Amino acid sequence: MNALWLVPLLPLISAVILILGSAWLGRRAVAVLGVGSVGLAALLTARVVTAFLGSGEASTQVLWTWMAVGDFSVQVAAWFDGLTAVMMSVITGVGFLIHLYSARFMAEDDSYARYFAYLNLFVAAMLVLVMADNLLLLYLGWEGVGACSYLLVGFWYKDVANGAAARKAFIVTRVGDTAMALGLFLILAELGTLNIQSVLQLAPGHWATGDTMVVLATVLLLGGAVGKSAQLPLHTWLPDAMAGPTPVSALIHAATMVTAGVYLIARTHGLFLLAPTTLEIIAWLGVLTALLAACSALVQTDIKRILAWSTISQIGYMFLALGVGAFGAAIFHLVTHAFFKALLFLAAGAVIYCLHHEHNIFRMGGLRSRMPVTFVSFLLGASALAAIPFTSGFYSKDVILLAAWQHDPLLFVAGLCGAALTAFYSFRLLFVAFFGPAQQEPDRTIGWVMAVPLGLLCVGALAGGALTLPLTDVFPPAIGVVNHTIEYIAITVTLAAVGLAAWRYLRQRPDPASGGLREFWFAGWRVDALYELLWVRPYCWLAKRTQGEPVDHLYNGIVALARANHRTLSALQTGQLRWYATGMVFGLVVLLAVLMRAAL
Amino acid sequence: MNSGMWQALSPLLALSGGTVVLMLQIAFHRNPRWSVAITQLSLLLGAGLLLWLWPGSDYQSLLLRVDGYALLLNLLFILAAAVTCWLSPAYIALRSEQSGEFFLLLLLATIGAMILAQAVHVASLLLGLELLGVALYALIAYPDRSLLPLEAAVKYLVLSGAASATLLFGFALAYAGTGQLAFTGLSESLALAGSGAYTLVMAASVMIICGLAFKLSLVPFHMWTPDVYQGAPSPVTGFLATVSKGAVFAVFLRAFLETGAYQFPIILNSLAAIAVASMLVGNLLALRQDNVKRLLAYSSIAHMGYLLIVLLVCSDPANHDLAVEAALFYLVAYTVTTLAAFAVLTWPGYEQYQGPEHTELKHLSGLLWHHPLAGLLMLVAMLSLAGIPLTAGFVGKFYLFSAAVTGPHWLLLGSLVVGSGIGIYYYLRVVYYLLRRDDNHALLPNAGWHESCLAVVLLAAVLGLGIAPQSLIGWIQSIL
Repeated sequence: MNALWLVPLLPLISAVILILGSAWLGRRAVAVLGVGSVGLAALLTARVVTAFLGSGEASTQVLWTWMAVGDFSVQVAAWFDGLTAVMMSVITGVGFLIHLYSARFMAEDDSYARYFAYLNLFVAAMLVLVMADNLLLLYLGWEGVGACSYLLVGFWYKDVANGAAARKAFIVTRVGDTAMALGLFLILAELGTLNIQSVLQLAPGHWATGDTMVVLATVLLLGGAVGKSAQLPLHTWLPDAMAGPTPVSALIHAATMVTAGVYLIARTHGLFLLAPTTLEIIAWLGVLTALLAACSALVQTDIKRILAWSTISQIGYMFLALGVGAFGAAIFHLVTHAFFKALLFLAAGAVIYCLHHEHNIFRMGGLRSRMPVTFVSFLLGASALAAIPFTSGFYSKDVILLAAWQHDPLLFVAGLCGAALTAFYSFRLLFVAFFGPAQQEPDRTIGWVMAVPLGLLCVGALAGGALTLPLTDVFPPAIGVVNHTIEYIAITVTLAAVGLAAWRYLRQRPDPASGGLREFWFAGWRVDALYELLWVRPYCWLAKRTQGEPVDHLYNGIVALARANHRTLSALQTGQLRWYATGMVFGLVVLLAVLMRAAL
Repeated sequence: MNSGMWQALSPLLALSGGTVVLMLQIAFHRNPRWSVAITQLSLLLGAGLLLWLWPGSDYQSLLLRVDGYALLLNLLFILAAAVTCWLSPAYIALRSEQSGEFFLLLLLATIGAMILAQAVHVASLLLGLELLGVALYALIAYPDRSLLPLEAAVKYLVLSGAASATLLFGFALAYAGTGQLAFTGLSESLALAGSGAYTLVMAASVMIICGLAFKLSLVPFHMWTPDVYQGAPSPVTGFLATVSKGAVFAVFLRAFLETGAYQFPIILNSLAAIAVASMLVGNLLALRQDNVKRLLAYSSIAHMGYLLIVLLVCSDPANHDLAVEAALFYLVAYTVTTLAAFAVLTWPGYEQYQGPEHTELKHLSGLLWHHPLAGLLMLVAMLSLAGIPLTAGFVGKFYLFSAAVTGPHWLLLGSLVVGSGIGIYYYLRVVYYLLRRDDNHALLPNAGWHESCLAVVLLAAVLGLGIAPQSLIGWIQSIL
């Protein structure tokens, strides 16, 4: 277990080397360093997790004591329990596969070293996020992944649109982060600590269930989670974030970073259990996001944007699970989603790689026979996403729907509608892109470097449902009775939706016709336009009005004061010995005079 | 004359033995290399003996006390002297006829500083102070080919003499009032002395404070600082800024605690006034200074003002340990950082001319690009002085803060904050010059392994104390 601190350190060191040595490292060295460091971290994680599964005891491990001054001590410590083990495995495991894939995907890019430096840095920050034993350190990782996301979305910064997308991702999540920071302040002020385990222990004694303060604190934390996990109303950045390289979308905007919000709520679930109101909000936010995003995914034509909306929708399911108290189910879906969504993104990346950066699915077609490996991957990924029986997505979504049913049938019905939409848009994507007449010929092959990650993720997407996550000690049990009727209803609806998609898209290829609702959904329910009107324009107006910087006068005054004092005092430094001696005598006389006044 | 005494005094004796050997070597066979070797060897021996004594020694005689506090500071002074000795040979060889005596004086000054850290009696205090001071006059004036060092030495000599006289007068008054000269004895007599002696003793205290404040260059006894810093040869300035001030502060703190001076409000108020004035005046004077050595001089005034906070905090027995910890950590951090800055100023290339030194800001322009190692060292030193996190200076300043917030020291804290704020401006101004690109550099520093080794060590020390300060903090806590 004592190798734990090496896991985040290895990618970090590699990132530093890559940043400093980008000028003289060869491409092969960059790839070996970038991929190898994460691979090594994955191996170490495997060792640590195996040891943990043997003993099964959660523990705190001090990685580094920065300083201990008086009562104040800054320690960097890791809390290692089942949840940490699961998250670390996903991050390093899926992360390694995506790094490996990137080695070829990005091979022709000029900024190869920069790419791997950012990607390694991201893995390090994400590991810090999930290993942190206190909320402050978690926040460091939280901001770290946010910064890396910004850097990687805007990776091809020479295109202005990519820079704008990166800024949007950063600023929109910043809104949530600010709420989260306020939540942390509130917790610190109320409980006097930010250590997660202490907070969870102290909270039930400090707050009664439903106390206004705990509701406020959890809502603020939820704000952070909503921003990071692209849920309503802060979901608008994720579709635009697809401007980054596809492996980045797979790693950051599907498998790991966007699920950080889910992790945060699961990690602090003790607080949320004290605030039933917040849980109710989470459940409804989640299911609403799942539905609205699925509708948008239905009409997109860009392969990556379909997957992006699908990610938003699937995280909505995780929030639904959190909201109904099925924390284990949320994490289970997080894991299976990491497998199949990473698989889908990487397969989409392979298509994009082989088709000259073609993103429009209606200009693909017939890829089934031309790219068989990619096709099989996509088929499995889409099946898992649609929750076809016996794939991983089926098992995890089933648990969520069951929990929703037991909590509130209305939530279940909404979730079921979302499931139908999901099945429909996943197979629409598959049928349009891989069946039908060929439109373009792939001009290159993906090679083993890209095929191996696809193959391994296929196994994960297929068999991930058989995993038993070591979460029983972390979360309270949620699901009482297993209800097979729910299962059968879900299967029927899903298969019907797949059949509908086949009927509509396999016989013919309807062009993406325009229409009122279709355009409305295509533009993501026009939320962007709404925000433009509500926030961006008033802000710009305000910025223009204060262009004269009236506040600056205050600071200029301080500067003038400091300079005037400096001039006066400098005038005293004459360089003359007699003057200096006079200064000393002056000091002595003044002090003695004060003394005499006090004494006499 | 027991063996405990010989053991406790062995580091001092090692250095004293070193001076004798060095003197004989200079007399019979002048050779700069030999002189450097003998100096470094005796410093090494002294450091080794200190570590051998570590940490169990608690020897006490009438004059000296060798405890953990003294051991730690002595080690710091010896290391600082070793760095100075490492920096100096090439510099001195260019600027003076003979360089052997330079090292002799350096050893003597170090012995003086070590005695100061151990002193528990007025006599040993004076002995140490004068040993240090007289050696420093000569060290400052050592380069005999230019006038500036001479001017600096004369200024320092005259003013320092005046300060010593004030100090002595203070001691005389204290003796007149209490009949005691040992620190602990003074404290007992103070408790017994009636109101008649009170005024006498307070006047004595004020004069002693003035004398020591001169050595620490606290306002308004600070005016000599920039001229002496600028005129003195850079390695000597580094030594003066770190060892001399550190030693005087060490004895100041010990005397303050052991004589019980902290019980008297008038003393506390005088010190608070001096501290506030030093923090503000020092930083304001440095604000638009273009000469790096003068800038460091003004900044040292402010830093000594920050350190004075410790004296006021430890007047409350509950915070005594934290305050002394803070002082020791701050001294170590300040010493390492200041030595780093002066190491760059001594770097060959800036010093290859026999004429005046090239220590204007413009001479540092673009250093980071022309000579990354030297530039990086200066950069890190400036950030550390400014108190930026992950450097030694940050942890030191944080320590001061956490010590100061334990009591009602709001005025001091406020001055610390304002002073640090002003400080960031001028430290970053140096950084700005270091990072400038558009300069065609006239003075290209060229360094061999000698300078590079030292730079790497100092860099590691400044950053190491910032990244993993706990090792030193643990060490300090273990000896107190």
